[in-house]
Parts: sequence; structure tokens; C-alpha cells
Amino acid sequence: MEQSNKEHRKKKESSTAKRKLHTQGHNAKAFAVSAPGRLAKTIQRTSDVNERKLHVPMVDRTPEDDPPPVIVAVVGPPGTGKSTLIKSLVRRLTKTSLSEINGPITIVSGKRRRLSILECPADDLNSMIDIAKIADLVLLMIDGNFGFEMETMEFLNLAQHHGMPRVIGIATHLDLFKSQSTLRASKKRLKHRFWTEVYPGAKLFYLSGVLNGRYPDREILNLSRFISVMKFRPLKWRNEHPYLLADRVTDITHPEVFEKQGKQVDRKVAIYGYLHGTSLPSAPGTRVHVAGVGDFSIASVEKLPDPCPTPYFQQKMDDLERERMKEEGASAALPRRRKRLDDKQKLIYAPMSDVGGVLMDKDAVYIDVGKSRDGQGPSFVAGEEKGEGEKLVTSLQAAEKSIGESFDNVGLQIFSNGQELREAPEEESEDESLNEEATPQGDEGRKFLRNPRVYGKSIQEADDEIDNLRSDDEIDEDNGSKNISSKFAEDLEGEADGKLDFETSSEFELTDDENEDTYRSTAIKLNGNGSLARKWDIGKLIYMENINPSDCIKRWRGGEEALSEGGDEEEDGDFFKKSDVSKSSSASDEDDLEKFKPHFDTFNNLVAKWNSAEGLRRRFIGAPKVSDVDQGNASGDSEGDEEEMYGDFEDLEADSGEAESQHQEDEDQVSDENESEDSFADFEEEEKTNDSTLKERDANAAKKEALRLQFEQEEGDNFNENDPDNEYDTWYELQKAKMAKQLEINNAEFASMTSEQRQKIEGFRAGSYVRVVFQAIPMEFIENFNPSFPVLLGGLLPTEVKFGIITAKVRRHRWHKKILKTNDPLVLSLGWRRFQTLPIYTTSDSRTRNRMLKYTPEHAYCTASFYGPLCSPNTTFCGVQIVANSDTSGGFRISATGIVSEIDATVEIVKKLKLVGYPYKIFRNTAFIKDMFSSAMEVARFEGAQIKTVSGIRGEIKRALSKPEGHLRATFEDKILLSDTIILRTWYPIQVKKFYNPVTSLLLENKTEWKGLRLTGKIRADLGVETPSNPDSAYKKIERVERHFNGLRVPVSVQKDLPFKSQIHQMKPQKKSTYMAKRAVVLGGEEKKARSFMQQVFTLSNAKEEKKKAKKQVERRERLKKLAQIEEDRIDKEKHRKKEYFSKHGIKRSSNQDGGNASGSKRRK
Amino acid sequence: MAPGNYVVLQGARNFRLRIVLSTLSGRPIKVEKIRSEDLNPGLRDHEVSFLRLMEAMTNGSSIEISYTGTTVIYRPGIITGGSYTHNCPAGKPVGYFVEPMLYLAPFSKKKFSILFRGITASHTDAGIEAIKWGLLPVMEKFGVRECALHTLKRGSPPLGGGEVHLIVDSLIAQPITIHALETPLISSIRGVAYSTRVSPSIVNRMVDGAKKVLKDVGCEVNITADVWRGDNSGKSPGWGLTLVAENKQGWRYFVEDIGGPGAIPEDMACGLAYQLLEEISKSSVVGRSQLPLAMVFMVIGKEDIGRLRITKDQVDERFIGLLRDIKHVFGIEAILKPVNETNSDDLILTIKGIGFTNTNKKIA
Repeated sequence: MEQSNKEHRKKKESSTAKRKLHTQGHNAKAFAVSAPGRLAKTIQRTSDVNERKLHVPMVDRTPEDDPPPVIVAVVGPPGTGKSTLIKSLVRRLTKTSLSEINGPITIVSGKRRRLSILECPADDLNSMIDIAKIADLVLLMIDGNFGFEMETMEFLNLAQHHGMPRVIGIATHLDLFKSQSTLRASKKRLKHRFWTEVYPGAKLFYLSGVLNGRYPDREILNLSRFISVMKFRPLKWRNEHPYLLADRVTDITHPEVFEKQGKQVDRKVAIYGYLHGTSLPSAPGTRVHVAGVGDFSIASVEKLPDPCPTPYFQQKMDDLERERMKEEGASAALPRRRKRLDDKQKLIYAPMSDVGGVLMDKDAVYIDVGKSRDGQGPSFVAGEEKGEGEKLVTSLQAAEKSIGESFDNVGLQIFSNGQELREAPEEESEDESLNEEATPQGDEGRKFLRNPRVYGKSIQEADDEIDNLRSDDEIDEDNGSKNISSKFAEDLEGEADGKLDFETSSEFELTDDENEDTYRSTAIKLNGNGSLARKWDIGKLIYMENINPSDCIKRWRGGEEALSEGGDEEEDGDFFKKSDVSKSSSASDEDDLEKFKPHFDTFNNLVAKWNSAEGLRRRFIGAPKVSDVDQGNASGDSEGDEEEMYGDFEDLEADSGEAESQHQEDEDQVSDENESEDSFADFEEEEKTNDSTLKERDANAAKKEALRLQFEQEEGDNFNENDPDNEYDTWYELQKAKMAKQLEINNAEFASMTSEQRQKIEGFRAGSYVRVVFQAIPMEFIENFNPSFPVLLGGLLPTEVKFGIITAKVRRHRWHKKILKTNDPLVLSLGWRRFQTLPIYTTSDSRTRNRMLKYTPEHAYCTASFYGPLCSPNTTFCGVQIVANSDTSGGFRISATGIVSEIDATVEIVKKLKLVGYPYKIFRNTAFIKDMFSSAMEVARFEGAQIKTVSGIRGEIKRALSKPEGHLRATFEDKILLSDTIILRTWYPIQVKKFYNPVTSLLLENKTEWKGLRLTGKIRADLGVETPSNPDSAYKKIERVERHFNGLRVPVSVQKDLPFKSQIHQMKPQKKSTYMAKRAVVLGGEEKKARSFMQQVFTLSNAKEEKKKAKKQVERRERLKKLAQIEEDRIDKEKHRKKEYFSKHGIKRSSNQDGGNASGSKRRK
Repeated sequence: MAPGNYVVLQGARNFRLRIVLSTLSGRPIKVEKIRSEDLNPGLRDHEVSFLRLMEAMTNGSSIEISYTGTTVIYRPGIITGGSYTHNCPAGKPVGYFVEPMLYLAPFSKKKFSILFRGITASHTDAGIEAIKWGLLPVMEKFGVRECALHTLKRGSPPLGGGEVHLIVDSLIAQPITIHALETPLISSIRGVAYSTRVSPSIVNRMVDGAKKVLKDVGCEVNITADVWRGDNSGKSPGWGLTLVAENKQGWRYFVEDIGGPGAIPEDMACGLAYQLLEEISKSSVVGRSQLPLAMVFMVIGKEDIGRLRITKDQVDERFIGLLRDIKHVFGIEAILKPVNETNSDDLILTIKGIGFTNTNKKIA
């Protein structure tokens, strides 16, 4: 049987991509440009797109490794599902169900990312403003079934003027649409409207329905993924200021204060939260603004352990632990290395929202014992415990003694059958007095205010402390003088060991040097030599206020004898003021410091020192070759000089034995330097040995490494803008690289510091969880505290603490109904602050003066000047007229937007002033003018001023007339008329009213009802007062009598006496009839007939036409009337239809309220 | 800010710089015990004159001087700049007033253009050349490019009669953060020898005297002779020399001196040349007189770390006093670290800027 093979199939002529290329008969790819026009377009478009991606390069100062949580604000009108969304997100990310949402909820959302989710109170404009300033990401909730609401638009506009955070729109209530087509259409409409507001292509999520009180899991998952990969650009304002969103607020006022002064006292308040933005200075007294409360100085800041660390951070900690354990050699109990987020790491921290029921404070842990949740009555009640666990807890609650106290009378038993060892009483001889004070109070607890140790001190405080220390020491010396030797002998070993600690402790800065000296002298006595001498750290010495600068230097330079002398001198100075006086009054010393010229040695010394300048040779380039012969000598010489320069130092270190080798090394080094730095090479040296070259190479490598570690100087080769050879193609890249380099340098420098030093220099970094304590916050803040309103702390820069006049470019918001009036109160949200102020709107008259405007122009920018806390130019802001909810009328509330252009202490604004006068006596070009001024003094002020008649004749004020008070003499360029009006146009300076009223909404019980200064119109309306109107200001129809000028008639009697020159020249009437008059044209018979006929015809046709026109007019009028009627009917019908529709389907609000009440969910009205 | 909330400083030391620091930081200061123990207590004429100048160049600043003049409360306003003419008192040369203006000028609202009238040289304070060749280059390194000091008339002490015009045209947001970690090599030495109302030969004698010393150094030495005659040479005879060591990076070291009565030009120039060598040996990147300017510009830089190499000799009383004042006013500390080199005991001065921006400037 024949084998049956598969039939061969011929390969089909397929139209693959490759084949397509050859359709034209040639390979299209082989010929570069097939369509040059399209290519050009493509290139243009690509570069367009690339160009659009560029932003002004800005340094991102958020720390790389442990950034603060991203603030996600959920914003939207009431009833759009904000709480539901937060609950769904929290559930999704942490598997926790929240019962109520109060304050920010911090959750871990990824390996390196945490989110602080925050709900914006729907109906509070103040909160909206605050949130717009701090939110990194805004989830803008939109009721998809209803469309955009005023709050949404307001929020978007607020956000825009505070740096525009990332915005994701979320349309909800989409399940209410019945038909798919309407849903699709309305989705599209929403999307496009959203795009015009945010940016084309902005992400809009659609959440369909609610299941089990949450949005569908899949949709939430998508959203959370979207959020967790989102990138953020640094915003200018936030990149310049530290800020904090309060997690938790506690009143830590001592109860004794309440007892003494009642509840109405300023409170000591601790505010907790993650730091954002730049680092918060660690110096106490930093000014911050608490939005809605006011400006305060920070009493103390403390970094707390992160309550919600990222897995990355935890891993780092684990790694450290592992390292440590490895070093110790214990390999068995290594913590497992985590690869991915497990449930344990999905942390949630929401102290105000009651999650998990445990609150941790600095000095206490609060456990929520639970409200009677399941109707079984309160738990954890002593005697009614429901289990072993509860019993344990209640027994703990019942403990009468603190742990410390319970050990009070217990001794230490070393052996099981031994005697208990108790405290040896004789050892407390020194601290007796202290203990005596302390012991009797042990049982009763503290009755007085705790005086906590503040980290860091203000100058005055520090000074006080120094004084106190002094006096303490005096006492100490008196008491302990008897057994001083033995005491020190005991202590010394400890001291010597703990020397390092002692040096680093901050306390040390304030210790008296006299103490030091005693230590030192005893140490010297005991050890016999000065090996214990401290090596002073200049960095610390500089800032020890109690050591004067010259002493600092002496100590640092290490002059031991000089030091003790100096110390003694200072002591004396402290004890006997008089001698100090004589010392300081030597003015020469002081003036020496004021001198610009630094101190130089005497001429002879200098000459001796610099007789040969060889020692400095290495500081010069292009030194001429002295001679080749002298080469060896030169290096030797320079070495010698160096020794001279640093002679004392080397003497100290090098003993005679080592000196030789050291010298040898030094010489090598010097020769190396000569080769590398000076541009001539020494061939003889190089040929010496192979060894030396190797050594040299090593040295060079080391040097290179050191250089690399130190980073090249920023102005080096790569970063020179003007250098065409740098490796960056564009300016943008160069700037980016520069910033990156600088950040790298910063990080490297900070990393090399001790943590204490770092905190001092850098402050509290963004991302750290801190507790900020304020000394005196108004009691209303605590009494009326409502956790659902965000509390925001914004750090203030030095300029922002000062007050002055801010000049800004301002425009009325185009959606705001009314124009704004000068000096009407306006609530501005500028910087961190919200405050009411009285702006004056001005315009610049061709840059010569700022003229006041009574109202803002309709559609243009004008300048506004107002009083308030200064804010650096280029800061954008917006203004609203009313923030109280009860006063709003439903319109768009943001009334003005603007940008600060200038800050100053004063501003010159003028108002136009026209003074009017009338002439009462006119000479040729001179006139006397009345009614313009009321006194000669006023006239004197305006002497030389330009005046003008209404008819445009210009003039000048000359002098006041002596007789009628206030009358003046003026000259004009021409003779004026008695009927003229004289106008003096002048400028009247306007002062900006110094009114600043911070919006203290958080102090109110009803936080949405902050009123402040009312608008003038509002006051009038409230009081029922009519707007006063000056009848002069009213516009009336001006009736001008046509001026009739009679011809000049000179009586004959007068005329005849006039001289010839003044004779009135008049032509005599013509006697002869003219040529034309003589020849009259008379129509002939035929022509006359024709003309009259034509006239008749025209008359007829005109009459006909007129009739036709009139008729048409009437018809037209009829038709218009008819059309109007139809239109009216249509509108009526439409109205009716709408009314019917809404009454049937119900508008959103009312239905929501019903639904809301029915479902029992939390929705604000 | 509460009215009583000011930084309290004591003593008459560093008076100008304290006022300058206060103005830059915007924090009010109270300087107490100004020569309170002196037989002639309180502020001196030139200090009051300086306060006047500050008042003129700022807007909204208030100065309260106590009855005895031993306490001054200074509340800074906004640096406005603009043009102004300042008549310096007889006791102090114009350099005393020009120097602090350099700290403020780049951060003002309007360009600085101040005409100073008075003595233009002295033994103790900054001379015109010292500012022009020594301080302005430092400013240039920090990004202040367009600043100039024009000498319209020279006026030697005691009678003076000089006129100097300070123009600072570049208004910058903040100084550039610098990293000067290497001691630059000196490429040349320049100088100006000037005289007013004396024989021009004195100038040549000075040049010769200086060159005699500096020729050993082995780099290009170029000293300009600048003889002033006629009306522009002030009211008194006088002569002086300024020596500047230059390098390619734009840093400078300088010394200056003027001839006193009976001084010999050659000797003075010779001594000054030695002083220049001394100054070079004692300074790393900037000279001792330039150090305060560089430090203040580092302090008011961006919120980045700037580094400057200094020598051990530069850590003197003035340095420490200034650092303390900076800490009081700005609340920041500097760090000194030894350089990572074996054969040098220079230090690296590390300062983190305060994140200063020139808020006075108007936006376009």
C-alpha cells in the first residue's frame, strides 16, 4: 500500500505586514521619507507633546525613603457618597470596617506608600479651602445622576488657586439611570464638563451602585490601584512650607489650672500628625498658623514613633536587626524576610475615628472599653466581668499603687534564703534635701504643675539657666568642700569613662567651665600628666554662649595653660563685676572686631616669616622654574617651610624617634604634590624606584576616591551652563541634574551627621510623626472641637509673620454675580491663612499713579491693596465674601481670584478729586475765581496748580486774594468767559484700612456659621436702611439752552466816531443785477407739458408705494405677534412639562433626604 | 508677632552685621549694653549715621534708641533700595557704610544706587578697591552679577571729599548654594596704588616696594598706578595700596593699607606685600575679610547644604561672634568638619540655608 502523505499545500499569498511594505513595488522602508508633509507633522507633534511634558524644574524636598502619607481628600456635595467611598477604600486596603469617620485615616497602601484619607465636610467652605491647600489627591465626588453642583465647582476653583493638586473625579449614583443610552450620554457629558474644569483627559471614575453599604469591590480595587501608583509633582507653596494635618488633638492643660481659674482659660494643647512639606525647624518658638484658629508659637515638638510605618520602613528595621544578630552570631532566630504585603502590614491609624479601640498617648494608653454595643450592658465593670480577660483588666484598674510604689518597700534578695537588701540610707547625704521633698508626696501624686524639660531653649531661658547653674555650683562648693578630694577620687573614673557621653549631652552646653576646670585639675593631679585633656569640638564650642569667643579659640587651639588662665579670669569676672568692667571697657578690643581689616602680625615678624615665600609656592599656579638644579632643594625647602608653618602641631605629635620616618613620608607626599599640582614633573624622582610609583598610584587612587566621595564641586565641569561640552543636551536636563546633585549632597551630608546634630540642622523631616504642643490655644478650640473638621497646621516663613500692605492683581471671578466694591470686607484665603480684610481696588494710570477704583472692572484684572500678613510675591489666592452658610444665597461663592505682586509697608493710592470754582471778575487773561477754596491757606497749597475751564482753556493758580477768604487769582492762556466753570483736577491720597480679621471658624460651636464683618449692603439690608443718595450724584438729563450769539451791531453814532483802524468794514450791497439774474430760463410749451406729466406720474407711484409699505408693516406686526404667541405657548408647555416631571421624579435633594433618613446612613443636610 | 518678641543681643560688637542680619531675617532685634561701661557710652556718630542709612534704604523699619544710646530696638521693614545720597560722618570712611549695603542690595525691591560722600580710605575700614576687588567678586560667586562701585572722587583722610557710587542692578531671589571644597590656586597678583594730592612718584615707589617682595612668589604681579589730580582728588593728600591675589575660579584674597603721616611708601608697600602672603597662608577659599559676607550669603541660601572650605586660622573671634549672631537671629547652626586630607588641617564650613527668598521684589 502506498503511503498516503498529506497533500502539499501551497503557501498562500498572504498580506503580511512585510508584504504590505512592498505593495508599491519597492520596500517603503528603504526610502526614508515617503510622505514629507506627514513626517514633518509627526515630528512637530512629537516635539509638541514632549515640550508639553516639561515643567519648571523644581526641587522635590520630600524625603525619598520615608515620605509622609499622601493626603487623599474626599470632597463633594452632601449625599454624593463620600463616607461610603472612604469606608469602601478602607475596607479594601486594610480589611477594617469603620463605623464613623472622624479626622484623617492613615492606612498603608503599598510597600512605600501610606494614604491619609480625609473627608471634607460637604457644606463648609472653610474646610474646603483648607483641604484645597493640603490635599495631594482629591477624589471629587459627583452625583452622576444629578450632575455638577455648586460645591464641586467652588472646590475646583479653590484648588486651582492653591496649586492644583491631582484630581480624580468619581461619579456615583449611576445605578439610578434606567436606560443605558441615557447613562452613556450623561457619562459623556459629565466627562467632558469635567475635562474643561480640570484638564482634557482627566480621569473620571464611575461607581455604579452600593452593595452592603459599600461600592462594588472591583471598582474600588481599580480605584485603589490607580491611587497607589499615582505620582505627584511638588507644588510650590507646599515645597516651601512645613505643614501638618492633625491626626489627633488633646488638651493637656493641667487640671490644677482649671481648678484655680475655671474652664475659661487658654489651653495647652498637643496636636499630633505627620509632617509634610519642608522640615519643621527644631528651634522652639517657631510660628505656625492653625487654620481657623490663629497664629501660635510652638512650645515644643517631639518626634514620636511612627504609628503606621510602611512595610519598607519595617523591613529596613528588620534588616538592621538581622545585621545586628548576625554580628552577634545568633543565626537561629532571624526574623523572616518579608516579600510582599501581608495582612499584618495593612495598618490603619485613625485615632479620632475609633478604630480598634486603642489609643496610645505619650504617657498613657487608652482602651475603649466599648459602649453597650450588643445590648448586654457596659463591659469591664468591676464585679460584672464576662470572662477571664475582663477580670484581668478590671483587677488592673483596681490597682491602688503604681508599679513604682509597689516596689517601695521591697528589698533585693540575692539568694533565695538570704536577707532582703534594702536601700542604704547613708548614701543620700548629698541629695537629702531633694529626697525629703519628694518622699512625703509619693502617695498623693503630683499636686503642682509639672515643669517639663523643654528640648532646646530660647536665649533668655538659657541665660537664666546659666545664672541658676552658677548659684547651684556655689552652694555645691560650699557643702562639698570638706570631702571634695575623696568625692572626686570616686567620681573620676566614672567621669573619665563617661567623658564621651558627657561631651555629647546637650546639658553640657550649659555647664559652667569652672566645673570643667575642677575636673580637669583633679584629673591632672591624679594621672600626673595631661593625657586626659579634652579634645574640644569646635562645632560645640562655638555655640556655648557662656564661653566668650576668645576663650573658645584658646580652648580649641589646645593651649592648656592658656585655657586654665583664661578660665580663671572668667571666674573672677563673674564674681567681681568691677574687674569685668575695667576689662570690657578697653574699647580697643571691641573696635578691633569692628575693623574690616583683619589682624596682622607686626612688620618684623611678617618679614621674618615670609622672608622666602617658598612655603606658599604650592598655592600658586604657573610658578616659573627657579632652575632645574634647584629642583631637589625646592621640594626640600617647601617641606621645611611647611614644618615652620605647622611647627607646633608636628612637635606635639612627633617624638624624636618617629620624626625620621614621618619626615620621609612627608617628603614623599610633598614631592607627589609637586608633580600633580605644579605643572612640572621631576623625572629623576620618578625613575627612583618602582616602589615609589606604585605608592604614588595608590595615593592617587585614594585621592581620587576621596574626591569622588566629597563630590565634585557643583560649579565643576559638568554643571557649567556656559560650557558647551557638558554632558547635558538641554538647559532643562542640566537644571534637573543640578538639583539631583544638590539633593544627593544634602543627603550625604545629613547622613554623615549624628542624629542629634541632624535634627538641629535639618529640623523635623517631612514624614515624621510628631507631637506639637502649644501653650495657649483659646479654650473654644477644645470646647467646640469637632473631629470631622480638619485641623491644619501650616508653618510660617519669617516674612509671613510680619504684617503690611499686600498689593495684588485681582479679578472678580466670572461666575460670581456681582462686582466687588472697594473697602467692602472680603475673606481672602492667602497662604495658610483665611482672613477678612478691606481691599482697595486700584488701577495704574499709565504707571504714574495708582488711582482708586470704586468697583472692580467687569472682566479685567485690577490691582488690589489690602492689609494683612505678608506673603511672598507670586502667591495665588482667592477671596470669598461670605463663609457663613446661613448667609449664602446659592450662588457661586468665590468672588475674586488673584496673585500677590508686591508686598510693602505702605502703598500710595490716590483718588481723583475735582475742585470747582467760578470766575467773578475777568481781566484780559487773568480772572478772579471764587468758591474753589474756603481759605487762603488752601489756596497757598495749590499755588501753581494747573486748572482748566470746561471749554478747555488751560490756566494756573497764581495767588490767594487777600480780601474774600478763599478767592484766588488765576491766569489763563486765553480770556475766559464769566459763564465758564473752572476745574482743578487733583489727587487725594487714600489710606488702606488696617483691618485684619482671621476667620476663626474652628472656635465656633457651629463651624459653618462664621460671620465676621458684614458687607455695607448687607448691613443696610439688615437694618432696613436705604442706600443714602446724594441728589447731586444722581444722573439727570442735562438740559442745555442753545446759546444764541447776536450779531455785532454798532450804532451809527458810535461808528462814526471810531478811528479808521477800528471802523467796521462792510461791503456795500450790490447795485447792478448779475449776469445770471439778467438771463431767466423760461420753459417752452412741449417741455413744460412733459415735465408736469412726469411729475404727476411720480406722485401717483409714490402714493401707491407708500400705501403698500404701510400695509406690509401692519402685516409684519401681525406676524410677529403670532410668532411671539407661539413661543410663549411653547415655553409655557415646557415649564409645565418640567414641573410635572420633577414633581413626579422628585429632585435629587429631597429624594436623597428621604432615602438617607430611611437607610440611616450619615449624610449632612 | 507680639511687639515684645525680639532677639536680644548684647554689646556693641558686630553692630552693622546684626542690623543687617535682622533686616534679612525680618526679626526685630534689641541690642543692649552698647558700650554701657564706657566713659562715652552708647552709639557712636557713625553708627547712628548707619542706622539713618538703613532707615532710608528700607520701608517701614523702626529704630528706637534709648535715652543713653546704650540700647537699640530695631524692627526691620522691607528693603526698598532706590537711589539715595548718604553723607558719611567724618569719623568713618565710606567703606564702613558700603560694606553692609552689599549684604542687602541684591534682595531689595528696587535697584540700589547710593552715592556716598566722605572719606574713601582708612586704616581700619574697607577701602574702595578692597570692596571693588575683594567683596564684589565674592558676591559674583553667589550670583550677584551686576554690581559695581564707581569712584567719582577720592577723598583721603582727614578731610575727605570723596564720592563713591554703589550700583547693584541684579535683584536675585536667593544666593546660589556654593560648594567650594578645594583651595584654589592663585594665578596672578594684581594691585592698585593710588594717590591724591601728592607727588605721583610716591605711587611708583609703592609699586616698586611691593614688587620687590612679590617677585619671589613667582607669579604675574601687576600693580596699577592710579594718580588722582584736580577736583576729583578730594581735600587732603594721601596715598594707599591694595593688593589682590586672583585665581581662575574667581575667588580673591586682598590686603590694603594707606600711608600715614611720615610713612615711607616703600616700607608700607613692602609690609603690605608680606601681609598679602600672610593672608594667603591664612585663608583657603575666601579671605578673612570676605568670610562674613560669604557666610551670610550661605545662610540666606536655598534650603540646601552649602560648603565652604576655611582654614583653621579663620576661626577667630569674629567668626565665632558672627556664627552666634546668626544662630540668635536665624536660629540655624553651622557645622565645622575637618577636611578629609592628610596634610591639611583646614575645615569645611557646612551651612544649611534658611530657604530665603527675596520677597521684596515686585513681580513683573
